[in-house]
Amino acid sequence: MTAVLDRAAAPPVLRRDRRRWAWGVGAAAVLLWSLAGAGLFSGDVVNPGGTAQFGRFASAALSPALDAQFLGVLARSALVTVAYAAAGTALALLLGAAGAALVSRTTWGRRRAGWLAARGVLAVPRGLHEAVWGLLLVNVLGLDPWVGVLAIGLPYGAVTAKVFADLVDEVPRGAYRALRAAGAGRPAAALYGLLPPAAGGLLSYALYRLECAVRSAVVLGMVGAGGLGYQLALSFASLRWEQVWSAVYALSLLCLVADVAGRAVRRRLAAPPPSSRRDPVLTATVAGTVVLVGWSCWYLALSPASLVSERTAAQLAHVWGAAWPPATDGDLLRTIGVLAVDTVQMSVVAIAVALLGAVLLAGPAARPAGRSSSGRRVVGALVRGGLLLLRAVPPPVWALVLLFVLMPGVLPGALALGVYTLGVLGRLAAEATEELDPRPRAALTALGARPVGAWLYGVLPLAAGPVLAYALYRWEVAIRDTVLVGLLGAGGLGALLASELATFDWAAATTVLAAVVVLTWLVDLVSDRARAALR
Amino acid sequence: MGARRVARSGGPEAQSLLPPLSRRALLAGAGVALAAAVTGCGGPAAPTSPGPLRVGAIPDQDPEVLQRLYGAVADALSGALDVEVEYTPVTDYAAAVSLFRTGDLDLVWFGGLTGVQARLQTPGAEPVAQRDIDQAFTSVFVVNAATGLAPSDDLTALALLRFTYGSETSTSGRLMPAWFLREAGVDPQGFPGGPGFSGSHDATLALVASGSYQAGVLNAQVWRSRTEGGAVDPAVVRYAETPPYSDYHWLLGPRAAERTGVPDLRDRLLDFFSGLPAGSPVLELFGAGAFVPVQASDHDRIEEIGRDLGLVS
Repeated sequence: MTAVLDRAAAPPVLRRDRRRWAWGVGAAAVLLWSLAGAGLFSGDVVNPGGTAQFGRFASAALSPALDAQFLGVLARSALVTVAYAAAGTALALLLGAAGAALVSRTTWGRRRAGWLAARGVLAVPRGLHEAVWGLLLVNVLGLDPWVGVLAIGLPYGAVTAKVFADLVDEVPRGAYRALRAAGAGRPAAALYGLLPPAAGGLLSYALYRLECAVRSAVVLGMVGAGGLGYQLALSFASLRWEQVWSAVYALSLLCLVADVAGRAVRRRLAAPPPSSRRDPVLTATVAGTVVLVGWSCWYLALSPASLVSERTAAQLAHVWGAAWPPATDGDLLRTIGVLAVDTVQMSVVAIAVALLGAVLLAGPAARPAGRSSSGRRVVGALVRGGLLLLRAVPPPVWALVLLFVLMPGVLPGALALGVYTLGVLGRLAAEATEELDPRPRAALTALGARPVGAWLYGVLPLAAGPVLAYALYRWEVAIRDTVLVGLLGAGGLGALLASELATFDWAAATTVLAAVVVLTWLVDLVSDRARAALR
Repeated sequence: MGARRVARSGGPEAQSLLPPLSRRALLAGAGVALAAAVTGCGGPAAPTSPGPLRVGAIPDQDPEVLQRLYGAVADALSGALDVEVEYTPVTDYAAAVSLFRTGDLDLVWFGGLTGVQARLQTPGAEPVAQRDIDQAFTSVFVVNAATGLAPSDDLTALALLRFTYGSETSTSGRLMPAWFLREAGVDPQGFPGGPGFSGSHDATLALVASGSYQAGVLNAQVWRSRTEGGAVDPAVVRYAETPPYSDYHWLLGPRAAERTGVPDLRDRLLDFFSGLPAGSPVLELFGAGAFVPVQASDHDRIEEIGRDLGLVS
């Protein structure tokens, strides 16, 4: 508590922070470079001839396919998607808990080299998109449901391990030190001194992962693992937009349920009711989730035996034999270099578009504190619904429909990703705005400032920090997503990976995968430094 | 502190309707549920014999048409061979090849190139039959009307247009057109901005209609069926057609006979396909007059071209 008071009492710093200034100029330069790379300053980028095709996609939104048979198919597919999400998250949490023990500072103490190496190992599963994992696993496990579960569980497990380790490391150490001093071993001291205070944060993050897993399960479906994404991909391949929209609406509904439920539970965790009893809602949530995971394993007919079967071993040997050693010929490396630049530019343009949109929409999308007019509430609900749709339409679909109205190149992929990221970032920005201190704005309004002025001086300066931090965090995610958009045809390293996988050139695919991992790791590093400058 | 309260076990004054649940009980319950789930799914994993014949196809056409097509094939096959037949839709070309290799698909309707890829990766795989039209299959080059190009056999005019293929390893949407382009002196990868890969024949049509890509190439059978159905945008016009080549065929996996318990499976499949009477619904759905036997050597040229263009490794 004293630390907080000290900080509040410190005199305000009015100097311009040099480090932030440098980061700002650097970001502007990178953005200009990326826009130039996307061809914005050289020649036509818009193709007005394709508005009819785009219109067909857009107008189908109002007339989704509603025949009973198709809706039945969607309902069954939704169950598969939920099952994959739940089973995948469960695996991720198991791996994350085990991994957290291996990568936390508590484990490594002062041995910094070991700690860094352990973190480095995590970068590999984390650097590859779930869809890439899915494509790789199909080659080893075939149609086994483990493909979908592992494709979610492995990358999520690595992220979860990192976050869990950070949460445990940030817990006050008093109890832990006391237990150690009383003679407890390190595992026991960690279990009883660190885990209980961290439990709320861990549970909250676990629920957040479950929400994300629903969207991931859909993307996995698009590469063939079944569920809603699979139906969406089938309808998408033959451009049946009415069916695509039905699948998108079903998916939005699923995401909405996951978002609302997850948010309610997380709110409850952050501000529990004043009673010392165990919160029955939370108990029910945990019990319900455990039952859901059990049901998912049963529904997907997951069998541990197929992971260690003879066939799996034979296929793994086949793929490994073809993939190692990675290809290192000069041509391939040069191509990778060129496409890596495309990939970075695509992700930068995407984040810039998403950030601009999020800043503009965060105000209307945020639920105002206190009373508000019914018009304001309707606008808010509409904007939030729009953002939900933006993130429910998978990026590859955006990429194709934007290709109708834009010239081929980096831009359609970048905008596709930007629109999708806007759906996510807009919601995060709105939530950040809701959680701001309402007093500066109220004070300005009371003094007679107009709404725009009150927003500019009372909200924007406070919101800029958290929203920029979210944008930087999403940039890491976007660089992985560029691979996904590319996989389904929009250029960059993903397109190269798709072509190496389609021709079964495993050695070259290994090199591309390594390049993707390194690129993701670099972006992670830069984004981390930039966020440190924001703090 | 909120987090601490969450983790706290049932306090002494707990007075809810439900009896207080201790941490130990919660953990034990969760453990039992998980264990039950794991053992519940850990049922017999060994394949029970005889298993069904698992049929698949590369997704080169409308999935709904494929579903109908293979629904009819599965029914007819199951009746003729007296084995259970299952159709599994696949979302991409490479996945069909991989699933054939892993043994998840026994009998697959492959294109020329994917068939070669699958045969090279799956020792013991045998081609069974192809349609009469597959012996001399063609692709159609299409252009956007705004280019003002009149139909011609001169492919060099396409070199300066934004151009899209279909799927990366499609025989009729990529391999053979690329080959004929190169024969005509056009670099198949050298289009302005690089060639696009639309992913499917229908997407190629839509992209050329939009003008984002000025030209493209697709399967002649799909082109004819879309033109007859009136589904082609008037902005798309036919520019040229390739010379004929050998394309689609049925490929049978090495473990299929053993798994289904039918030792002479290949012969019986060939008898079934070549014995289909004219006008049978299966032939009609496949748009063919008859099925004919096919040898692995019929696709030697495809294999050679695939190696040449770096699509077969």
